[in-house]
Amino acid sequence: MEETPRQTYTEQQKNEVFNNEFLPLVHAMYNFAYRLTLDRDDAKDLVQDTYMKAFRFIESFQTGTNAKAWLFRILKNSFINDYRKKSKEPNKVDYQEVETYYNSEDVNRQITADLRVESLKDMIGDEISNALNSLEVDFRTVIILCDLEGFKYEEMAKILDIPIGTVRSRLHRARQLLKEKLSEYAREMGYKNT
Amino acid sequence: MSEQINPFVQEDGKKPSCMQMLQIILDEQSTEAQQEYFKAHMDRCMPCFKTYNLDATIKELLKSRCCGGEAPQDLIEGIKQRIDQQRPQ
Ligand SMILES: [Zn+2]
Repeated sequence: MEETPRQTYTEQQKNEVFNNEFLPLVHAMYNFAYRLTLDRDDAKDLVQDTYMKAFRFIESFQTGTNAKAWLFRILKNSFINDYRKKSKEPNKVDYQEVETYYNSEDVNRQITADLRVESLKDMIGDEISNALNSLEVDFRTVIILCDLEGFKYEEMAKILDIPIGTVRSRLHRARQLLKEKLSEYAREMGYKNT
Repeated sequence: MSEQINPFVQEDGKKPSCMQMLQIILDEQSTEAQQEYFKAHMDRCMPCFKTYNLDATIKELLKSRCCGGEAPQDLIEGIKQRIDQQRPQ
């Protein structure tokens, strides 16, 4: 946990913080957990664990600061420690490469003609959701935080414990991969993408 | 066209790429001056214009399709119960 001056809350204040600031976020938390684990039961366990930790650590939470970012960070850490280790999936992503590419001239050569707005509008089923779920978890995470939950880069950097530059490059790569997936779907739907 | 001051230029003087400008605009982390500049930029940069529309559409779709669900009621009840047990009697 981040070192913040510990707050002293009375029992009643603790309850108030928990009920008024933490609990209303349960829907966003559950959605985040589900998008990370891709399993409803695991998502429930993860959210429950997160709330237990949040209650235990409540004195390091300062009222008036961003409760959502604080809770999302705990959830993300629980996910890494408790769920990811179990899966033992080797990390396939070369982040150094992602960053180098982002800062190079090549980055402007985008795949723009490949996917069209019209074909996206016809994706009325689960295509968007499936495309998101198909991404490697670290790429999925930045899209969830940015596009689904509207966190700022700075907040994302704190939630993920990575520098802002890495947030940007990872987000860029994630969107590229998402577009590639969506163009695949568009082709399957019979669109000629060019 | 007269040379405008580019409000995207960083403190170190580094000029951002089209893609970097686009990202800042798309994610609503831009200043008003940057938005004005980018609007004008899109008039003469077709790739930015196309990519912006595509990316903005995807962003909207993500938001409308992938969130907004409710957490299961038994989860919420479970959390409340567990917390109650932790409280001093
Ligand atoms: Zn441009």
